Amino acid sequence: MRGVSRLSWPLVALRDASLVAVLAAGLGFGVNALRPDGLPFLAEAEYEILVPCPEVQGEADALAPNDPALRDARTLLLDARAAADFAAWHAPGAVHLPYDYLEPVSPEALKRLVRSGAARVVVMGDGQDPDSGEQLARELSGKGIRNVGFVRGGAAALRQAGGAP
Amino acid sequence: MKRFLAWRGHPWLALPARLYLAAVFLLACWHKLVHPGSFAMDIATYQILPLALVNPMAIALPWVELVAGLMLLVGLRARAGALLVAGMMLMFTVAIALALWKGLDMSCGCFASQGAVDDPISGLTILRDLGWLALAVYVFVFDHTPLGLDGWLRRRRGEEESA
Repeated sequence: MRGVSRLSWPLVALRDASLVAVLAAGLGFGVNALRPDGLPFLAEAEYEILVPCPEVQGEADALAPNDPALRDARTLLLDARAAADFAAWHAPGAVHLPYDYLEPVSPEALKRLVRSGAARVVVMGDGQDPDSGEQLARELSGKGIRNVGFVRGGAAALRQAGGAP
Repeated sequence: MKRFLAWRGHPWLALPARLYLAAVFLLACWHKLVHPGSFAMDIATYQILPLALVNPMAIALPWVELVAGLMLLVGLRARAGALLVAGMMLMFTVAIALALWKGLDMSCGCFASQGAVDDPISGLTILRDLGWLALAVYVFVFDHTPLGLDGWLRRRRGEEESA
């Protein structure tokens, strides 16, 4: 007789469950340590949970960094990143419109967009999770701007793809 | 009660329950595995765990969900899997009940992150979770895995011993 079978089945299940939970958690920590977007084990700052209701969101197309639409003369490029990032590098011709989830896009900025004469708006953001470019694109789309897209992976991906359109 | 417990249909009823729970948990873990950051945010929104435990929980829990879901799906140590699922459902139910009691205006974060506007928690969320908890307990008690790796391994072991 095996030692295992001397335990009653609920205890066997409990033992197995505990073991599996520990192993699965260990696997999770291992994978988290390896993945580039892994979380720090300790959160660096309190999570901001008291945020205002999100703006109405619309649909936005995800574009690859080498999408030909980015090179189209009638495409208006928007950069949603913080001012420092924009100053460090930005795609030629990109207009700075920093995304702030506390602050909706102003009506003046919307008017400028509408009057720009562009046929399509493509936003590039920080490429993080969530990506500020995608968030701004969805906010603009929700505010009624048509043909809004965002660069998958944000400005970094565009730059890496040899990116300046 | 004895007659109820001895009914021979239970293992066959436990099978669809087991597969259903597996599907629920595999669906639930996917978004959390891909977006640990937004799951950590969801956990923080409950305001139950201290900050030091939010990220470890967000890192580990989806993997426990994944493994428990897989165990139920293939029927390997299915009762341990059901026990894990029951434990997690109990934890989620208590968390949602606490959040409701505190009057938090939020979504449960159970599946892909939903907004508090589209999918707020309510008494129905608790009922749903209690239903899943009951299913998990049912599987734990009655799953003799007529279909699944446990049964297959047991039969193979039986053949070896009798040979």
